[in-house]
Amino acid sequence: MTGGAPVIEVENLVVDYGKGAKQVRAVDGLSFRIEPGQCVGFIGANGAGKSTTIKSLMGFLFPTSGSVRVFGKRAGVASSRQRIGYLPEVALYYPFMKARELLELYGGLSGMNRAELSRAIPAVLDKVGLSGKSEVLLRNFSKGMQQRLGIAQALIAEPEALILDELSSGLDPLGRHDLRQVLLELKRAGRTIFFSSHELTEVETLCDRVLIIHKGKIVTEADVADLMKPLNEYEIVFSVSGDKPLPESLAALEPRREGERCQLLLRDIEAYSSALSELTAHGFQVQRTASRSRSLEEYFIELIGGREGRK
Amino acid sequence: MNARAVGLIAKSVLIEAVRRREIYAIVLVSTLLIGAVMTIDFFQIEGLTKFYREVALKLMSIATALTVIVLSARQLPREFEKRTIYPLLAKPISRLTFLSGKLLGVMLAAAFCFALFMSIYVGGTLYLGVSIPWVLFLQYIYLQMILMLILATLGFWLSMVLNLDAAITIGVLFYALAATFTSITTFIYDMLGGLQQKAIMVLTYLIPQLTLFDLSEKAVHAEAWEPLELSTLGALSGYGLFFVVLYLALGMLSFYRRPL
Repeated sequence: MTGGAPVIEVENLVVDYGKGAKQVRAVDGLSFRIEPGQCVGFIGANGAGKSTTIKSLMGFLFPTSGSVRVFGKRAGVASSRQRIGYLPEVALYYPFMKARELLELYGGLSGMNRAELSRAIPAVLDKVGLSGKSEVLLRNFSKGMQQRLGIAQALIAEPEALILDELSSGLDPLGRHDLRQVLLELKRAGRTIFFSSHELTEVETLCDRVLIIHKGKIVTEADVADLMKPLNEYEIVFSVSGDKPLPESLAALEPRREGERCQLLLRDIEAYSSALSELTAHGFQVQRTASRSRSLEEYFIELIGGREGRK
Repeated sequence: MNARAVGLIAKSVLIEAVRRREIYAIVLVSTLLIGAVMTIDFFQIEGLTKFYREVALKLMSIATALTVIVLSARQLPREFEKRTIYPLLAKPISRLTFLSGKLLGVMLAAAFCFALFMSIYVGGTLYLGVSIPWVLFLQYIYLQMILMLILATLGFWLSMVLNLDAAITIGVLFYALAATFTSITTFIYDMLGGLQQKAIMVLTYLIPQLTLFDLSEKAVHAEAWEPLELSTLGALSGYGLFFVVLYLALGMLSFYRRPL
């Protein structure tokens, strides 16, 4: 669902830390837009600039240059923050407070009145799997429970957009599953979601678009569906007896050979069909055929690993 | 500035102060002091009760001041350290609202602490059959609150420019030295040369004269002292609020310029 002014608009964002010889460029000329109703994943290795970018969106950092606009307004102004639910990368909540008191604080700061809070708090605690914990002091919460509460505080005022930094950090598999269901529900309801995560399966499952950041620059910006298309891979395993030579057309595909076993990996369906016909025509015994899609994780490792000179 | 948001943030500071039980340790000290006053009376030593009541009031003031310095100095560094500041400032509130809420919270905690002290002190004094000069006593409490406000804003400012330990140390030293500054300078002023006297004058204007906010001696020796004139009280309030605004502005400036 798109249309209307962009929720997030980043133009040539540059953020430097430190001064003089110690200056480090964390974000280097970043530009992107998030449209209303989109669910966009923001991925990158540690230190790539994800959290710096997200902090700039919230107005926590002062950009060295460039502009960041949220709901058409300069990042950080109260009227844009009114429409955003934010989950920080790491946050420990006040250990001396109860879950209810914390949500009353955050909801109240978002402008909710007492009646709205008394309705919303049990509902949001239930949504994040913390029902029955409203009167528990946060010092007794585990890391996963704190993260669930963090998500609850982001959702409490039913914001139009969610900006979530490392959303599944500290959650166990069950917690991640629950969170995914919550986000899918919000996505279906037309909320805009922008999140960073190291859980790439989560990005794959939830997102319409993905931004990959590396050393402060966007290296991939694509719809998840488009990104996954060229990743389709077709495999043919066949046997070659003795020193029987491969026809030139097949040898050109550079099969991987281990003894009499050969493996061909092909990127498109036409090449796959033609190789299969050729193998059959030349009397090679095809042992196995398979088609598979590489995961986003594999794509990411190939992309970033390649840039880092790793295999 | 959003008054409701200020109140909510102040409430969170107050909840922390009450649940962390630090205030109760201070109240225990005050209870022991009152107990000491009553013991002195029990031995019927004339004159000493006044001295002990004066000491008790001074110690309560010191204890409250230390509480305020520690509470105010640690508010912001702990928010940064524990990263609790991010979800707070992600809500539609300004940094001014945030800081005002913190300041109000510290002041409410100080008032709570002082109220506990005073209720014990007043109870003990009345139990001893000593009358309380209410006007002077209320003026004493009012000026103590202004003193606490000065210390709270100073604590916020110091915590923005120094680390937590340094902010507390400097805050405590400032409180201790500023309180004795007047008496020392009054004593040595005539012994100094012209340039040194000018330097003392500059320092006198730069450093708040905290002793001006202490009416504990007058409140105890009420037979010799009249309550302050309203004009004097107003001038003292203006003098105190000048430093409050100054320290708050310096703290705000540092807080606004600080990336999170």
